[in-house]
Amino acid sequence: MNRWRDSAALWATIGTIALLAIWEAFVRIRNVRKFVLLPPSEIASTFLETPGFYIDNIWVTARHLVIGLAIALIVSLTFGALLAAVRPLEHASQPLLVLILVTPWVAYISSIVLWLGRGTPSILFLVSFVTVPAFVYATVGGMRGADPAARELFASIDASRWEVLWRLRLPSALPSLFTAARFNVGLGLAAAYFAEGAALSTDGLGEAGRRAVAFNEGSILWTTILCTAALGILGQVAVLMLERWLLRWHASQRRTTR
Amino acid sequence: MHHYSQPVQSGDVSSGNVHGIRATGVSKRFNSVDALSPVDITIARGEVVTLLGPSGCGKTTLLRMIAGLERPTSGTITIDGDSPESASRRKRFGLVPQSPALLPWRTVEANARLLQDINVGANPSSLPDVVELLDRVGLADFRDAYPHELSGGMQQRVGLVRAFALDAPYLLMDEPFAALDEITRADMRHLLATLSEPTNTGVLFVTHSLAEAVYLSDRVVVLSSRPGGVVGTVAVDLARPRVPQLEDDPAFFAIETTLRRLLYSGASAS
Repeated sequence: MNRWRDSAALWATIGTIALLAIWEAFVRIRNVRKFVLLPPSEIASTFLETPGFYIDNIWVTARHLVIGLAIALIVSLTFGALLAAVRPLEHASQPLLVLILVTPWVAYISSIVLWLGRGTPSILFLVSFVTVPAFVYATVGGMRGADPAARELFASIDASRWEVLWRLRLPSALPSLFTAARFNVGLGLAAAYFAEGAALSTDGLGEAGRRAVAFNEGSILWTTILCTAALGILGQVAVLMLERWLLRWHASQRRTTR
Repeated sequence: MHHYSQPVQSGDVSSGNVHGIRATGVSKRFNSVDALSPVDITIARGEVVTLLGPSGCGKTTLLRMIAGLERPTSGTITIDGDSPESASRRKRFGLVPQSPALLPWRTVEANARLLQDINVGANPSSLPDVVELLDRVGLADFRDAYPHELSGGMQQRVGLVRAFALDAPYLLMDEPFAALDEITRADMRHLLATLSEPTNTGVLFVTHSLAEAVYLSDRVVVLSSRPGGVVGTVAVDLARPRVPQLEDDPAFFAIETTLRRLLYSGASAS
């Protein structure tokens, strides 16, 4: 009957095609300069001229993003579990977390490069540094939100601190951690792109984009931008799939059609 | 008088008078509010004792103090001569909280196993078969389901299995059926009676339901409110095993009436 009306995949495809068509038409009809906006067809052909160049750079940036986020997650879980257990410490750490959150990293990247040196160390530091606050808030909030009745149940048989953390608090924090992860994939990607361009690294999408700007290569710039966007989408999908699997018990993952 | 939970010498155990849960002169103050004035209560193995009272009478507080989750302001609590803290370290209690408190990321079977999986060192040498217990409460087909797929009554049945799976000598039940509808509640008390029938377990059951108190108990301790204190204790000498038809018996009504009068006398006295 009207099943095609409910097909999310179908409509997403139609939306994508429409977007590309309008974009292409707009650039051609208005005769927009390459540097300002490149039509999708030229982005595709630029990519196909040297696909290896873009794929290598995507791979480099993806590594910076994933390793940076992993470091941030490990730091945040350790730090967050501590803050969730000790309230004064949580209050004391607020200024630092807020400071990280509000300070524009564009402003202090050169100081980081001066401190940690050019290339990977500075890039990884920036990605981890800016994504820590959201992970910490998610950890603390999620762990605090563990069902009080379940906590008493654990206490009634003298569960160890480790058992409470591993079997109750950490799983309780998973939903908020995934929300933070989706946010942090975007933030971390932006930080990685920017740091690659600013940290005098030799590769990565950010560095490719910086050089394209320096040499006034509009088509390379826009192909790099689209590759970065594709990486971002890939990251979001990866988080979403991990979430589907790990949170299959959670209300957010339930099918509502019954 | 602040002698709190002094462990009894092991030599005294043979005398027999330290067996069971013993609360002597136990009271609780929160800040400057008397939640519970001094109460004496004993629960022997194989006995079901119900704390019956209106909300705010301190019955849950008393249960929590016995479970070692709260410290009494005065008085002594011993569990087979042990302090509540020591008893919880040795996994002597199966707690059934008011909300089922199932972990949403664990399946029904894994939830039923939860108390077995924690503090493993204190487990007895042989544990009851969780699958068999789930079968007995009619949840055999839901072993792999997640808690959100169950009704409220089914969730609390998992909560019961979780406590029974510990094979602890004492069960502490804090209004476990309070959130359920009347029909499910009746089913649950019938189920609980059959579950706990052939065991040597001491049960402390907290409720504000007269029917639950009469149906399940050997003794009912009626509490008054603010500050909570014992108004009276009523022995329920109905035959065991308890069967649902019992609830139509005049003897059942008679005890219910006695309890109701005690409850109201306690309410008017305060």
